[in-house]
Amino acid sequence: MTQNQKKLIAAAAVFSIAWGICPAANAMHIMEGYLPAGYCIAWGVLSLPFLVAGFMRIKKTLDENRRALTLLAMSGAFIFVISSLKIPSVTGSCSHMTGTGLGAILFGPCTVSILGLIVLIFQAILLAHGGLTSLGANTFSMAIAGPFISYGIYMLCRKCKLSRLATVFLAASAGDLFTYCVTSVQLALSYPSEAGGISASVLKFLGVFAPTQLPLAVVEGLLTTAIVLCLESYAKPELKSVGYLKEV
Amino acid sequence: MIIIDRLCYCSKLRYVNAGEKSAFTVLTLAACILSRSCAVALFVLAATGVLTVYKGGLPLFRYLKLMSMPAAFLLLGTAAIFINISKVPLGAFAFSAGSYYITGSFQGLRQGAELILTALAGISCLYFLSLSTPVTDILTVLKRLHVPALILELMLLIYRYIFVMLKLAEDITVSQHARLGNRNLAASRKSFAAMVSSIFILSIRRSGQLYDALESRCYNGTLRVLPEDHPAKASEVFCIAVFELFLYLAVIFLKLSGGMP
Repeated sequence: MTQNQKKLIAAAAVFSIAWGICPAANAMHIMEGYLPAGYCIAWGVLSLPFLVAGFMRIKKTLDENRRALTLLAMSGAFIFVISSLKIPSVTGSCSHMTGTGLGAILFGPCTVSILGLIVLIFQAILLAHGGLTSLGANTFSMAIAGPFISYGIYMLCRKCKLSRLATVFLAASAGDLFTYCVTSVQLALSYPSEAGGISASVLKFLGVFAPTQLPLAVVEGLLTTAIVLCLESYAKPELKSVGYLKEV
Repeated sequence: MIIIDRLCYCSKLRYVNAGEKSAFTVLTLAACILSRSCAVALFVLAATGVLTVYKGGLPLFRYLKLMSMPAAFLLLGTAAIFINISKVPLGAFAFSAGSYYITGSFQGLRQGAELILTALAGISCLYFLSLSTPVTDILTVLKRLHVPALILELMLLIYRYIFVMLKLAEDITVSQHARLGNRNLAASRKSFAAMVSSIFILSIRRSGQLYDALESRCYNGTLRVLPEDHPAKASEVFCIAVFELFLYLAVIFLKLSGGMP
């Protein structure tokens, strides 16, 4: 065997191992017991103001209209279900959407922060995705950072009069990407690299999770666009009831 | 549909007081995180394993399969911690790649091993809780901890509707597959979007019906459910207290003696 052939085989092996690991990868939940105690608490405290704001928002909505309770519950269940469904992807592997981008576009980011927290608790208990100690960190990255960026980009693009498709695609995939970046930073802050400190560590985590997360962001964007298109053509009254089509 | 939920209703520990189980889980979890030592993690892993498999009556094979589920995150995340790319090789191993080294130190390897064990111990604690305590019981514990009633109500309704919607999703997927809706990637993507949007429509419609049903049964702002009461047994509380005392003494001892081993 020549040197080149050996290299080729090694590269193929690495590639296949990478794909072999990918199938189990879901959205980036930090695992139970993975963060040091201080960081668990710190991320929880950091999420607290957003959660309180979300709680107030939900309470206000409910005081105005009690009927919204079942609607909110359904939205929460909807976010859980779309984040636990396998999405079609190239390798036949199973990956999942985060669903929070879609949630933020449909229901608004404040509401999604509380619903996201509840969904994350259920994901930890029922699916063992994430965990109780890493709940704070996961809430921050998935239920707060992702949805707020999604919503921000969504609003920005609408201001700029971008086409509907591009707007939704950008919002959903940017939310996904931002979640992945925030999670990498969270991990890196807890485990700074021995050579190069925190910044090197951020790059390492970004690199390690890139093969699963980058395609996922694109797929999430495409699917969210398709879903919003479907909804806009079939579900006008329902969209009005969640407040999505108010201004249109 | 959700395997952990199904298993926890069959657990032999199901009727043990939920407060006891939650307290045990949270305290043990905290001990794992605070100590981050291999010894404590192995001890906890053994204890929760015995509790879940032997006391709870879960098949060992099932348990091991569940434990291996988060393996991908564990492998990738930990690899990122102890593998470094730098210009100077570190202690444990080094492969050269151009002018850089892919390298790691003994310190990093030890940290990685501790991390893997701690994370496994943590996930085993979580499994102990979720494989023995149904969500409704956990909600009664949260209620006693004075979590706002609004959140609990939302949680109860969401929990209830997760299963309804998963069943819907499954049915729709089956009928899509029966019509070759998954014949290629583009088609399956289109079917997925159609499925999700019809779930959205159905769930909104159902939420209206649910509220009508609640209101016709005199709903005035609070959902009342009868709590099942399983009082805590003194012997169990004693066992848990002794276990936690021992665990925390071990944690303190390890901290004082410099974190070894």
